[in-house]
Amino acid sequence: MNARKVFIIVLLLSYTNTFADTNATIQNDSTKSSMISTTESNTTNEISTNIGDTTSFDEEFGDVNKTAVFDPFSGYNKFMTNVNDKFYKNIAEPIAMGYSKILPEKARISVNNFIHHLRFPIRLANNLLQFKIKNSAEETGRFVVNTIFGLGGFFDPAKTDLGWERHDEDLGQTLGFYGLPEGPYIVLPILGSSNLRDTVGLAGDTYISPLNSADADNIWYKIPQNTTQDILIGGVEVINKTSLHLGEYDLIKKDALDLYAFLRDAYTQQRRQKIKE
Amino acid sequence: MIKINKLLKIFLILATFGTQSFALRQNEIEPVMHSKIEKVLTVLRKKESNTIRGQEIIRTMDPVFDYSLMSKLALSSKTWDSITPTQQKEFRKLFITRLKQSYLDKLDLYNNQKVIYKGVKPYQKGRLQLQTEVVGKDETYKINYNFHNSKNSGDWLIYDVELAGVSIIQTYRQQFAGLLKEKSFDEVLTQLRENQPLKAKKS
Repeated sequence: MNARKVFIIVLLLSYTNTFADTNATIQNDSTKSSMISTTESNTTNEISTNIGDTTSFDEEFGDVNKTAVFDPFSGYNKFMTNVNDKFYKNIAEPIAMGYSKILPEKARISVNNFIHHLRFPIRLANNLLQFKIKNSAEETGRFVVNTIFGLGGFFDPAKTDLGWERHDEDLGQTLGFYGLPEGPYIVLPILGSSNLRDTVGLAGDTYISPLNSADADNIWYKIPQNTTQDILIGGVEVINKTSLHLGEYDLIKKDALDLYAFLRDAYTQQRRQKIKE
Repeated sequence: MIKINKLLKIFLILATFGTQSFALRQNEIEPVMHSKIEKVLTVLRKKESNTIRGQEIIRTMDPVFDYSLMSKLALSSKTWDSITPTQQKEFRKLFITRLKQSYLDKLDLYNNQKVIYKGVKPYQKGRLQLQTEVVGKDETYKINYNFHNSKNSGDWLIYDVELAGVSIIQTYRQQFAGLLKEKSFDEVLTQLRENQPLKAKKS
């Protein structure tokens, strides 16, 4: 539900020091071809036939066959990646584009702040479960400060004025922290890349999320009270998030030699890294 | 005669290396990268055409990347050693062009985000990692530049970049390995060539 959407993985790609903006403009072709011709002339300078011994690098990156992601459901996964791609291109992106024209970016960032603010119980629980005491304290501080001074969470003065960053942790990471293997790779509808462990984690996080009606009779802080409201809130979340990342998915698609493999490996690498941290 | 040969040799060496690299000493990594990244950001803020900006950016960043090593690692040494020198050369050319183009494409999305420098930390097997963070609209992203001591000469060059925990080289390794299970190396080269729409346009 949070960091798992296909289009978020897009972020992984920008190996620049820079990030996305909704107003991204695409270079025109003449520009590109002249850039390429520069790059080509540069590469001719760099030819050195002897690269030297790279054994230690092969150890660092591992044997490609052994480091491959466990993917027994690749048939279904490829199908779902395709469905998600169509969903993004034909539904999420056009709606998000219209939405971003109506609502200025500042407002959309505020909506995003508010959604993150409400997910505080998930972050707190998972920081605590991983004994990240300082982060748990900071999260709690953020919640209090942003509730009072951030108009109930629409603004993030805890970050902008106090430098207290959000510490995203989810149950999938917590389970990984306790040594649970990731299991097979699974592509979820709309949400995109996941694996068995993270899907179980997602269910747990959803259960305690204030933005989902699960067990609403017993948990006092639940905002939606039924599935219809869940879907509405989920829709706003997806569209708002998409509107803050427009253009990124297209770049990923352009970059990837094999989109399916790229998304799968990038997701897996990113999750492993997050669990290590 | 011998002298001329010697001079010619020196000249050739200078011509190859002089234009190519400006490798960093260990203690220069952070300050030089800092100034290079800031330079790229300054160029991006300029009102000039994308062509000029792109060229300037490539010129700024080129010297610190070990493109030859990156090409080999992206394929994995095993595959690299199994192909002919002609194929190696062709692959390197296509791969590097792709890498640079994708870098420039990303920069198009830049909108004044702040870069935070976290310093140079020891990394695997005696290598070093420059850690930076980019403050985005939604999250803060880690971007790490991995350096190796090129030929143990004390010159440090980049061999990989990690974005939010994802290594560029690693994703390419996996993709190429997957592709090579179904296709011959020449077919992969063709795909690389065709994936570069700009080249197709030229012909």
